[in-house]
Amino acid sequence: MPETTYNIAFAGNPNCGKTTIFNILTGAKQRVGNWPGVTVEKKSGHSTYSNNRFDVIDLPGTYSLSAFSAEETVVRQYLESDEPDVVVNIIDASNLERNLFFTTQLIELGKPLVIALNMMDMAEEKGLQIDADTLATLLGAPVVPVVGRTGEGVDLLKEKILRVSTDISLKARSIDISYPRDIEQEIDKISELFRDNDLTDKHSRWTSIKLLEADKQTRDEVRYHQNGTDILNQVKISTERIEGLFKDTGRAVISHARYGFIQGALRECVVENLAESADQSRQIDRVLTNRWLGLPIFGLFMWLMFKITYDVGSIPMDWIDAGLVMLMDFISSLLPNSMFASLLVDGVLGGVGAIAVFLPNIFILFFIIAVLEDSGYMARVAFIMDRIMHNIGLHGKAFIPMIMGFGCNVPAIMGTRILESRRDRILTVLINPFMSCSARLPVYVLVAGAFFPENAATVIFSMYILGILAAIGSGKLFSRTILKGMSKPFVLELPPYQKPTLRSLVLHTWERGYLFIQKMGTVILVGSVIIWVLGYFPTEVELDRDYVDEKSTLIRHFDEELTDLESKFKISVDKDRLAYHSEMIEYESSSSYLELHEQYKLLQDEISTEKNKQLYNLRQQEIGDITEQKWIGRVGKIFEPIVRPLGFSWRESVALITGFVAKEIVVSTYGVLFGVGEDVDEGSQGVISGLRSSGMTPLVALSFLVFTLLYTPCLATVAAIKRETGTWAYTIFSIAYSLGLAYTLAYAVNYFGRMFNWLS
Amino acid sequence: MFNFKRPRHKLHVSDENDLRLSDLKPGEKGCIVEIGGSENFRLRLIEMGITRGSEIRVDKFAPLRDPIELIVKGYHLSLRAMDAQKIAVKRIA
Ligand SMILES: Nc1nc2c(ncn2[C@@H]2O[C@H](COP(=O)(O)OP(=O)(O)OP(=O)(O)O)[C@@H](O)[C@H]2O)c(=O)[nH]1
Repeated sequence: MPETTYNIAFAGNPNCGKTTIFNILTGAKQRVGNWPGVTVEKKSGHSTYSNNRFDVIDLPGTYSLSAFSAEETVVRQYLESDEPDVVVNIIDASNLERNLFFTTQLIELGKPLVIALNMMDMAEEKGLQIDADTLATLLGAPVVPVVGRTGEGVDLLKEKILRVSTDISLKARSIDISYPRDIEQEIDKISELFRDNDLTDKHSRWTSIKLLEADKQTRDEVRYHQNGTDILNQVKISTERIEGLFKDTGRAVISHARYGFIQGALRECVVENLAESADQSRQIDRVLTNRWLGLPIFGLFMWLMFKITYDVGSIPMDWIDAGLVMLMDFISSLLPNSMFASLLVDGVLGGVGAIAVFLPNIFILFFIIAVLEDSGYMARVAFIMDRIMHNIGLHGKAFIPMIMGFGCNVPAIMGTRILESRRDRILTVLINPFMSCSARLPVYVLVAGAFFPENAATVIFSMYILGILAAIGSGKLFSRTILKGMSKPFVLELPPYQKPTLRSLVLHTWERGYLFIQKMGTVILVGSVIIWVLGYFPTEVELDRDYVDEKSTLIRHFDEELTDLESKFKISVDKDRLAYHSEMIEYESSSSYLELHEQYKLLQDEISTEKNKQLYNLRQQEIGDITEQKWIGRVGKIFEPIVRPLGFSWRESVALITGFVAKEIVVSTYGVLFGVGEDVDEGSQGVISGLRSSGMTPLVALSFLVFTLLYTPCLATVAAIKRETGTWAYTIFSIAYSLGLAYTLAYAVNYFGRMFNWLS
Repeated sequence: MFNFKRPRHKLHVSDENDLRLSDLKPGEKGCIVEIGGSENFRLRLIEMGITRGSEIRVDKFAPLRDPIELIVKGYHLSLRAMDAQKIAVKRIA
């Protein structure tokens, strides 16, 4: 039997459980969140039902179709297009009145509609009894009670969707939302004028209402109708009449009337038995958003988030590290001294591996963010933080993408779509890169670990704080200069707290983590290979110093010392033996001999240690000299004069250039620069000692960290900025601004540090 | 229509015609009389259910005193004090 395909659109208020039901229906991997507006992308999936195929689109959650925000525009354009065959309106039964506002608009839009009455469990808990059949009659569309959490009712929903898509009579049954008589008269007058255009009755009613609501998009469309001027004239007259009668604008009058219709409908089909104590979220919020406790608890949660991320993450980190070393050794032993082995070990494994170690941290962080979102706490974060964000000229909601920036700036910048105004979005996008993403952490851990082993945690923490300060300062600056103007009214829903489901937490974490893995697999892999190529060629280099000679001189010198020591020991033993009288025991077991022997061994060890140390340093110098001659060193040299005032050498210059691809590559670049993977001393320990012996002072290390934190985000972030701001102008501005800020502050650290002799 | 730009007289808070949502204390309830401010702002609020005649309850203030948490139409919503100031209410006991 041939399959028929139907296009189904899921629409509804933010947080009504759309994505949850979408997931059940399509089985697709989806994000499920609990703060308003998680679904920022148009997502699709498909499902089959008795030989029919449903192509389902999960539209962003919106409160209305007025096209105020980017999301509303997307939703409206899609719903008005010819594409969807059936619209499934998911509504939150526990918040029926407000959810139905959007439904009234969908009914007027005139697309075949099925209503999924979700969160029936919550409604019951709240003491609401809803008569779905009566509601269906009143709304002129099938109403299916469902529970997204358990999947209850979803099969019936599928059946209804199919019925509506195939049955013409069901489509025609839809009703009109009735308005007060005076408004109806005006609607009629306007739609009358559409007679000559071949619009359906339904559509002309929708258009007329939109015109009375002074909807700009509709006006622009109507202008091109053959009798467009007549229609617009009539709209003007009607609007004046309505405004005169109701003492309010057309839009407000119609919106009020919609609520009037809803209230009438609810009286007929809902029995309320509200128990105030049942509002558990309120009880929880007594503590979590409490006047005094709210902020400290939030601070505690943030602290815990970091603590767990790094402490728990460090355990699997060690395993991955050990695994990588084993793999590298294995490959090296399999293909000794070949170029291919070098590419695999130093290029691919060295580069990607340096990042792979941080996967546990990143997944844990994303998991915690998912818990905060799914539980409903994120909306409270916006509530608590609004006062502060308002200072920078932003909406409290903007705090959410800012926190997400600690994970990865790419999804965070994509998340700015939750903000309503374009100005807010651009401002948040521009300051987001200063939130220190997890990719910068490896650099902090490495450099802070090498130069501030005692205070590594403090140094790393200060980097995060500096990033936040840079974001706040820049935000203030931008909102007073290039992005003047007030942010949009702050209207934030605080959804009820929910126990997050494991399934949605895992999906959520995986989706974001996957983005990171993808980045690792593509951008970072390519970046590492390029750096490897730059570091491998040319294969023959000329060195000023003869390292082979120096090495043998060194070995000879120490060998002589050892022989010297041995002969001295023999002489002392011989002297001692002569003075030895006892016949009871052998001289070799006497205490005086043992003492001498022990001393000898100690001195011998000392010399051997010194020998190894000097050999190692020589080797490091040789590697440094060789790298300097390679392409990578030459590139670094070109940029060295620019970064010299910051105290950086050509190595830092190379590391920072490669860090533009992705900041975590800074670490792998150092890996290549210090020849880790060739030496016996594997892993980061090699890089740490390399850094220490490279002549970097703690002060330079600090200014390097500051630069790394602030300078131009990675390529992927630049791509995201371009995508979200839509213009190259802001993208280039962002790159230039962050480079400038990084340079200035790193210079300041270096300058003042030297002036006051800190950390030299 | 009301012009909410006119200066407010703090002394006249007892004047029931000039009570604003931002004047209500946590736990107090009001009935919405009129919404001022820009057209987009008014519409946004109406869409969210803050309609003339509906009952609204101030639940609490955020830790930094702003924004305000409200309960309207059975759900929780938050507005900034400066926006709540644009909403005229009648106190309900
Ligand atoms: N108690 C209960 N919770 C539900 C039900 N359906 C969904 N949820 C929860 O409601 C929250 C929001 O669900 P989502 O599916 O993310 O909502 P959405 O409408 O897609 O939200 P946006 O992405 O913001 O548009 C999640 O925490 C779900 O677990 C239900 O029937 N009952």
